[in-house]
Amino acid sequence: MQLLALMLLVGGWMIAVGGLVASDALAVRLILASLGLATSLGGIATLTSSYIQNASWKKGGALR
Amino acid sequence: MRASRTRRRDGWCAAAILAVSLGGAWPLHAAESSDPVPITTADLKGIPTPSADDLAKGDPAGSLTGTAGDIVMADPKAGLTIADVVNQIGQNRIAINFVWTLVTGFLVMFMQAGFALVETGLCRAKNANHTMMMNFMVYGFGMFAYWVMGFAIQQGGSAGITNLGGMAPLNGEFKLSLFGKDWGLFGTKGFFLSGSSYDVGVMVLFLFQMVFMDTATTIVTGAAAERWKFVAFAISTFFLGAITYPLFGNWAWGGGWLSQLGANFKLGHGYCDFAGSGVVHSVGGLTALAVALIIGPRIGKYNRDGSPNAIPGHDITMVLLGCFILAFGWFGFNPGSTLGASGAGNLRISSVAVNTMLAGATGSFAAILYMWIRFGKPDASMSGNGLLAGLVAITAPSGFVNTVGASIIGFAAGFFVCLSVEFVERVLKVDDPVGAISVHGTCGLWGVLSLGLFADGTSNYGGSWNGVDGSVTGLFYGDAGQFVAQLIGVCTLVGVIFTLSYVCNWIVDVFVGQRVSAEAELEGLDLPEMGALGYPEFQLVTPGTGHSVDVGR
Repeated sequence: MQLLALMLLVGGWMIAVGGLVASDALAVRLILASLGLATSLGGIATLTSSYIQNASWKKGGALR
Repeated sequence: MRASRTRRRDGWCAAAILAVSLGGAWPLHAAESSDPVPITTADLKGIPTPSADDLAKGDPAGSLTGTAGDIVMADPKAGLTIADVVNQIGQNRIAINFVWTLVTGFLVMFMQAGFALVETGLCRAKNANHTMMMNFMVYGFGMFAYWVMGFAIQQGGSAGITNLGGMAPLNGEFKLSLFGKDWGLFGTKGFFLSGSSYDVGVMVLFLFQMVFMDTATTIVTGAAAERWKFVAFAISTFFLGAITYPLFGNWAWGGGWLSQLGANFKLGHGYCDFAGSGVVHSVGGLTALAVALIIGPRIGKYNRDGSPNAIPGHDITMVLLGCFILAFGWFGFNPGSTLGASGAGNLRISSVAVNTMLAGATGSFAAILYMWIRFGKPDASMSGNGLLAGLVAITAPSGFVNTVGASIIGFAAGFFVCLSVEFVERVLKVDDPVGAISVHGTCGLWGVLSLGLFADGTSNYGGSWNGVDGSVTGLFYGDAGQFVAQLIGVCTLVGVIFTLSYVCNWIVDVFVGQRVSAEAELEGLDLPEMGALGYPEFQLVTPGTGHSVDVGR
C-alpha cells in the first residue's frame, strides 16, 4: 500500500509535467496540472491511511 | 534574487549619474528637466573638498564627511578622474547590496531562536532540553551539509545575480535536454566553497541561502518533537540540508527547470517564489509530514477509537515571544530576498516589508477570529500560529503583490491554518505537536498558489524575472499562465519533494530507527537522550500516566 502511495505521488507529478509537453493549450495544461495534484494528494491520503490501518493506538496500546 | 533574473542596463548615461551624485546642491528638477551634461575630469578637479584644517576641527553637522575627498583614487598624483568616480559608484552599489543582504541574513539567522522558543514552549516540560537542543543543533548540522554540497547543488549554476556582483564563479548547471528544452536539475560549482567559489559575492549568497535552508530544517523538529531519536534527527537534517532542500532550491532559484517554465513553455514568468513559501516552508512542512508519519503519534495522543487528546505545551509565554522573534526575523526573510537595496526595482523593499507585516497581522486576526467563534475563547497558541501562517503565505508573493492582496493572502492563511490543524489531527491522524505541517506545509503551498492569483504586475525588478521580460502578473490581473506555473510548482513539491523526503527518512528509520523507546518517551527525552533535564528543580509528571522523571538516576 505504501508502494502504491509513492507511485501515486510521483505519478501525479508526471501527469502535471506531462501536460507541459503534451499540449501548448493553457486550459489543457491547467487541467492536467490539477489532475496531477489531485493524484499526488491521493497518494498522501493512501500513505496516511496505511499508517492508520497499522496504528498501535487502534489495538489499545499507544505505541507503534 | 534568482540566477536567471536579468537586469536591463538603465538608460542613464554615466555623466548624468555623476551629475546627480556629485552635484548635491543642484535642484533635482533641474536635472530632470534638462539634458544631461557630460562631466569631464577637469570638472572634477574643481570640486571643492574640505581642507585638513576644517576636518581637524570636527564635523558635528556631518556636512564635511563623505565628499569627493573620500573617493578612492587609483593614482593620487593624477588626482580624481572620471574612472575613479564611476568605479566608486559601482562599488557603492554592490557594497549597499552586500550589507543589505548580510544584515537581513543575520535577521533570518535570529529566527532560529524564535523557532526554538515556539517549539519548546509547545512541548511538555519533560522534553524541553531535547526540543531546544534539536533547534540549536539543527543550525550546525544543516550548515555543515549545506557547506559540503547543498549550496553547490542549489546555487552552483546561478551565475548572473548582478545585485551581488554577478556570481560569475557559479557557472555550472547540470541540464538534461528533453523534448527540445533544457531542464536544469542541479548545480555543479561551489562544493565546500572552494576553488573559484572562494569569492566575496559567493560568500554573501552562501550566508543568506544557508540561513534560509536552516529555517526549513528547523520546521521538521517541531512536528517530530517529543519522540524523535537525536541521532536520527541529525542524519535526517543532513539529508534535508544536503539533498532535498537544495534540489528544489535549484529548480526554483538556481536557474533550474521550474524557473524556466516561462522561457521554455510560455507559462508566465515560470515558477516564482520571491522568498520561499515553496522552497523553504513547503519543503520543510512536507518533510515534517513525512517524518511525522514515519515516527507515529506520541503516546497518549490518540484513543482506541481514534479520537485525539490535547497535549498542551508547557509555556505559552515562550511560544508568543518566539512568534514575535519570528515576525521580526521575517523582515530579513522577505525584504532581504531582493538580494539588494540599490539597483533597478530594489527600492521595492519597502513594499515587501509592509506586505510582510500586514499578512502576519491579518493571519493572526483570522486565526483568533476562527478560534473565538468556534471554541468561545481567543486561543493564544493558534493566534501565534495564525501570525506565522500569514507570514509563511506572504513569503512567496511578497515581492509581487500590493497591500490589499497581501492582507487577503494573510487572512486566508489564518483560516487555513486552523482548518488544517484540525484536518491533520482528526482526519490524517498525524500528531504534530506544534502545527508545523499546517503552518509551513499547508500555508506554504497556499502562498505559492496565491502568487499566481494576486501578483499585480507592477513589480518590475530591472525589467525581467526568470528570463522573461515584464512584470510577474497573476490570474486576477490577467495572466493565467503564471497560475499554471505555480500549480506545477505545487505538484512538484507534493509529488517529488515529499516523496524524496519520505524515502530518505524511511531509510533512516530502517537503519537507525527514528523513534525513541516507549520508556524514554514516557519519562521525557531530556534525560534518556540528552543526559540533563531542562528544568532540574521541578518534579515532572506525565498527566494520566503517573510516570515521573527520576531526577536522581
